[in-house]
Amino acid sequence: MGSGESAYETVSGTGRRKIMNEDITRRLKESTMFNGLSDDALIALAEKTSLRKLAMGDVLMRKGDFGDSLFLIHEGWVKIVTTNSDGDELILNKCGPGESIGEMALLDQDPRSATVIALEDVEALELSRDVFEEILDQRPDVSFAVIRGYSRRLRFATNYIERAIDWTQKIAAGDYSFIDQTQPIIDQKNSNDNKAIQLLSAFFIMVRKVKEREDGLKKQLEKLTFEIDQVRRKQEFEEITGTEFYANLKEQAKTLRQKRTQQ
Amino acid sequence: MNKGKIVSIHSFRGGTGKSNTTANLAAQVAMAGKRVGVVDTDIQSPGIHVLFGLDENKMGKTMNDFLHGTATIREIGFPIGDHVGGAEGLSKLAGKNLWLFPSSIRGREISQILRDGVDFNKLNEGLQTTISEFDLDYLFIDTHPGLNEETLLSIATSDVLIIILRPDNQDLQGTSVTVDIARSLDVPNLMLMVNKALPKYDFAEIKNEIEAKFNAPVAGVLPLSFDIAENASGDLFSLRYPDHQWSQALRGVAQAVLAVE
Ligand SMILES: Nc1ncnc2c1ncn2[C@@H]1O[C@H](COP(=O)(O)OP(=O)(O)O)[C@@H](O)[C@H]1O
Ligand SMILES: [Mg+2]
Repeated sequence: MGSGESAYETVSGTGRRKIMNEDITRRLKESTMFNGLSDDALIALAEKTSLRKLAMGDVLMRKGDFGDSLFLIHEGWVKIVTTNSDGDELILNKCGPGESIGEMALLDQDPRSATVIALEDVEALELSRDVFEEILDQRPDVSFAVIRGYSRRLRFATNYIERAIDWTQKIAAGDYSFIDQTQPIIDQKNSNDNKAIQLLSAFFIMVRKVKEREDGLKKQLEKLTFEIDQVRRKQEFEEITGTEFYANLKEQAKTLRQKRTQQ
Repeated sequence: MNKGKIVSIHSFRGGTGKSNTTANLAAQVAMAGKRVGVVDTDIQSPGIHVLFGLDENKMGKTMNDFLHGTATIREIGFPIGDHVGGAEGLSKLAGKNLWLFPSSIRGREISQILRDGVDFNKLNEGLQTTISEFDLDYLFIDTHPGLNEETLLSIATSDVLIIILRPDNQDLQGTSVTVDIARSLDVPNLMLMVNKALPKYDFAEIKNEIEAKFNAPVAGVLPLSFDIAENASGDLFSLRYPDHQWSQALRGVAQAVLAVE
């Protein structure tokens, strides 16, 4: 029974691997990074990837770890998080099927810049540094595809930074009109440039909060300037001026001023 | 003939920026070539000497000694222009005609004067002597907040009264009583100054509303700025950072003082 089971497993395993490779090939083709590759290149690549399965809450990579592989999300969504100075989790981004994670660490060899956690059941394809470098070495078309992916991101980031600088200057000058003019772009949930869109949306939420706070303060001022209690004012005035000390002072001050004008 | 003007700086609450404003106004007026004196009559909590770089060791005779008859006005005046020290703003006052008449910072002397009370004629005589002995054009008085007897004395003897307020309800309420008192005591020139206004307020609107409320001129609306809180103690902000918004508005107030006939 033992050998039978093992034979069955082997056959079945191979079969599953074959089906999966087709699936992986399809995913690779849909990814931003590899979508320029020819079919045989994709098949070659699919054979060298390994599959990582995560349940909700599992950690794919941790901030500060040494990064020696890149991941391509195959199925499900992950969140990319860091912690603020209070230790609270800050979600930087969410990534889903077709998107790649961790390629920066492969190229610049710095530790992971954020933690990645599964938001549901996730399947990710792992590509080790060795495999990645080997492909880059052997396949100029893959290299170009990767470079194209980077430059597309870089271009969008530069564009985004330029606009953010422009907006920051406007905020500093108290001009919030761009919020209404720019609104539609943050509603394009399915754009390719998901990360930038999410950053933009965080930026806009911040601007709106700042503006609200500012408006609140302005309203407070208007209210304040209209609230002198005239009854209390009169009462306090009479308390001070009703004393003998004050009567004397008023007399003395009067004499003093008369003397001064005579000089 | 005595032409020097007494300019009292008052506020309803402490911490409004009275000492800081008084010291900077006096400095600006001295920079304009005038002969200027600064009296600290905040006998309960003196503080203006610090802004002029003075500590207890450098301080000689004080206003308390004068009020007790143990010192003459001549002995009390401390020539700031001759002792500017190293602070960047203060050093611009070198050679200017500016004297400080400090209050004692010794607890015993403070409580004694509060117990005895201040005599109007004695204080007034002292202020007039200060002006004539030092041939002053302006004598600035840093008063104690609120409306206690010493403060009423300073108001009564003033040619110009500047009331400083923050743009909030509590200060507006307190200021309304002081304005009424100043009018009851026939102070010839009354002006208001707003300090610590949040930069995002519309300053022109603040000025208009407060002027309408009190029927008195607002000589300046000065911003709340952490630069001041950080840099002010031990130096004169408006001399050190002349281009800062606070300094520019303060010079506007100094101009208003100089414009009084
Ligand atoms: N416009 C301002 N913005 C920020 N801080 C200020 C401002 N004006 C005064 N301050 C600070 O507030 C505190 C109180 O000022 P001070 O002049 O001593 O007030 P007062 O004499 O009315 O008690 C000081 O620490 C001073 O540096
Ligand atoms: Mg003070």
